[in-house]
Amino acid sequence: MKKDLSVRVSVRLFIFFVFLLNLFLTLSFAEKTDAGTGLVRLETSLAATETEGHELIRLAYSEKPVTKAGPAGADSSPKADRAGDSQEDAVESDPWEDEAESIDSIPDPLEPMNRAFFVFNDKLYFWFFKPVATGYNMVVPELGRMCIRNFFTNLTMPIRAISCLLQGKFEGFGIELVRFVVNSSAGFLGFQDVARQALDYQIQDEDLGQVFAFYGIGPVFYLNLPFLAASSLRDTAGWVGGLFINPLDYIVVDFWPNVGCRTVDMLNKTSLRIGEYEALKKASIDPYVAMRDAYYQYRLNQIEK
Amino acid sequence: MIFKHVLITTLIFLVTLVASGLSIAGEPTENIRKTTDKLIAIVSDPALKTSDKAKEKAQQIRKVVDERFDWEEMSKRTLARHWKKRTQKERAEFIVLFGELLERTYLDRVEGYSGEKVLYVGEKVKGKYAMVTVKIVTKNDTEILVKYRLKKKGGEWLVYDISIQGVSLVNNYRKQFNSIMTRSSYKDLIEKLKTKIETKN
Repeated sequence: MKKDLSVRVSVRLFIFFVFLLNLFLTLSFAEKTDAGTGLVRLETSLAATETEGHELIRLAYSEKPVTKAGPAGADSSPKADRAGDSQEDAVESDPWEDEAESIDSIPDPLEPMNRAFFVFNDKLYFWFFKPVATGYNMVVPELGRMCIRNFFTNLTMPIRAISCLLQGKFEGFGIELVRFVVNSSAGFLGFQDVARQALDYQIQDEDLGQVFAFYGIGPVFYLNLPFLAASSLRDTAGWVGGLFINPLDYIVVDFWPNVGCRTVDMLNKTSLRIGEYEALKKASIDPYVAMRDAYYQYRLNQIEK
Repeated sequence: MIFKHVLITTLIFLVTLVASGLSIAGEPTENIRKTTDKLIAIVSDPALKTSDKAKEKAQQIRKVVDERFDWEEMSKRTLARHWKKRTQKERAEFIVLFGELLERTYLDRVEGYSGEKVLYVGEKVKGKYAMVTVKIVTKNDTEILVKYRLKKKGGEWLVYDISIQGVSLVNNYRKQFNSIMTRSSYKDLIEKLKTKIETKN
């Protein structure tokens, strides 16, 4: 039990460290770009959202000088963006309003920091994960990689099942339970997804971030942390919550084997997705904005379901 | 004897059911299917697989895509409020540049085709607008939901937006272009578009 606790504590410490790092980098970035022309500096109190209650500095790029300072001024800029994105004045709107992806965009007060981490993750991918995953691809055939993916997906059943339950999706909850029982037994510890192939029981794509959204919590702001994919404050909180109900931490309690398992999982996932990030980068003019918006739209679509 | 009758009537019923099921797929779906089938035929044509035929293949794909995509409508929707401020000449230039960028993006996706299954799962028509939902099942057993948005122009249904897994292409480019234009200028956007297209050659 002691070891089990130490893993959870170390994970929590890691997260806390990441948040501190964020804060530090944000502040140093804000100072560096302070003198730039055309930049309007707005100080926004994010005490309500940040645990430490620190003052974070929000940088807004704007053509027009913002007259109001403080939270009120900060509030007005996303609205202006929204109005700018509206397509009503240029073209007639199509009848898909009900399913149309929302036109507004996710607030991004930490953009300079997020952009820095985006560059970091980009390098991490091209210099480390991609070459390693490419090598791994040559050693492990695709079928084997799919089995490993299935194994880890099956393992994280509690996250999906609990997320279904918390949203009142009882059918999804039941499906997840049946999937787990069937795949863990007939599917050889989850290496085979027989529940989907034979019974057409689809994976319920639910997580704690979506649970928060279900109860009306917005994404708050965009967050692009090192080593992690594009996210928001809400979804990062959901991810952290997920760490506590991930059975991996209760089965593999030693620190290094635990990290090893997570690395294999991440590498395996990467190996199956080589080319996706490259395609996004190739097709976009501003890959950072493209990624941010793709994440936002994808999440909205997931939440709607 | 009665059993035979029952059997025949159920058979007839089943046949009509299947037939009506097939005819549910309306004009927009048929249009998308036609284009998709043409593209798959080009991509899997063994005569065009060699590297010296790459250019010819790209040209053929481009022709098929050009027939089905409404570049002007896409440009309008992408520039949104900025569209109004542009002169006729600027608009024409933008349509060409943006069309080229989109074509390349689409081309890459199409050329990556390796026997994925394409299923037509839904269609909605409202006046001159339509939406066709397609499910692509990849080799490693993942499903990708693609939605084509179409508008009727001169008897043909033309695509003005594609959304992949809920991410609309037009919306995504609109955010990028808007971000560039609010920070610098339209001229800068055109410069960036041009360099992007050149670097891909």
